[in-house]
Amino acid sequence: MGLMTVLKKMKQKEKEMRILILGLDNAGKTTILKKYNGEPTNTIEPTLGFNIKTLDHKSYKLNVWDVGGQKSLRSYWRNYFESTDGLIWVVDSADKRRLSDCTTELHSLIEEERLAGATLLIFANKQDLPGALSSEEIKEVLQLDRIKTHHWKIIHCSAYTGENLLEGINWMVSDISARIFTLD
Amino acid sequence: MISVGTSSKMASNRTNAATSAASGADSEETAEQILRKKTTISPEDVLTLSKITDGYLCAPDANIYNIDFIRFKIRDLDTGIVLFEIAKPSVILDDNQTEGKVEETDLNSGRFVRYQFTPKFLKLKLVGATVEFTVGNKPVNKFRMIERHYFRNKLLKTFDFEFGFCIPHSKNTCEHIYKFPKLDPESIKEMIQNPFETKSDSFYFVEDQLIMHNKAEYAYNGGV
Repeated sequence: MGLMTVLKKMKQKEKEMRILILGLDNAGKTTILKKYNGEPTNTIEPTLGFNIKTLDHKSYKLNVWDVGGQKSLRSYWRNYFESTDGLIWVVDSADKRRLSDCTTELHSLIEEERLAGATLLIFANKQDLPGALSSEEIKEVLQLDRIKTHHWKIIHCSAYTGENLLEGINWMVSDISARIFTLD
Repeated sequence: MISVGTSSKMASNRTNAATSAASGADSEETAEQILRKKTTISPEDVLTLSKITDGYLCAPDANIYNIDFIRFKIRDLDTGIVLFEIAKPSVILDDNQTEGKVEETDLNSGRFVRYQFTPKFLKLKLVGATVEFTVGNKPVNKFRMIERHYFRNKLLKTFDFEFGFCIPHSKNTCEHIYKFPKLDPESIKEMIQNPFETKSDSFYFVEDQLIMHNKAEYAYNGGV
């Protein structure tokens, strides 16, 4: 139970944490969310709205939002930025054709004022597919080194096998914790 | 739990029962009676209620956003097993291995539903309750749900969650994963022996105005 263990580690200062998962359609956002919660991932339909998971443990709350990535839905992403502590950007590492689209969308999010304080985790997903670019290559293509305004990290993963999903979320939660702590 | 379905037969019965029960103390207005006089009802208003309501606090046509609950599912996170799932006929179920049953449901209309569970249900530790809903052609702002569960007017649990914005024509899901409230053995026994005395009110708000009110009743004596 991935997210439950994350929730149990939350400290006194962060009673509630909000994580937003975005990325182009078919990047694997919903699969990641389901994998975290031990749900079957064999039949996942395109998300035509949002999928939310809320976890409660004692007085701590973790809310994760996965919003559909189809082009027609992207203009609505802004409605979900408010109070976001962490942004997970999911990349289909095997979809080379759309990496430039992916880069543009990511960089326009980075400029969003309401996401200014958010920790950014980039998942180089679908590492199980042949021909998937490595996280190093994705980092180059997405020009991640240009990002100076956010704490960020790129991690290669496979939502299909579950590889590195927990490592990613653990990094994000500890980064958020550290940030909230120093601000106080 | 959120009711997906229903029949509103219960509403009128309950109103009668309430009238007779209230006649002993007619000088005092109940919190519900006070709310009924208001033109709009806010989240703060329903949070003042300390027991199940006798009737509905808004009309079915208050749902001008066409928000429609199309699936409801409960799973046991410790085993991963889906314990219960109902969906509108147009929706295909993920899985058939459910243990609960729905009584008296007409999935196309109404706002009342009765659930029949087995006693095992009350022993769960970590559960995930999923709702799936569709939204009409208008954007929905500040969508919020407040759900209160009672056993014989004792509050067992309150869910209070803000979905926030919903995209026009969208289909959305929300799973609340939570520790089942700890119940003492005596209460568990009482709840099993008194089917449908465990009840819930689900209130839905858009921009702080009540737009939907659903009710459910639960029995835990299945297979007993």
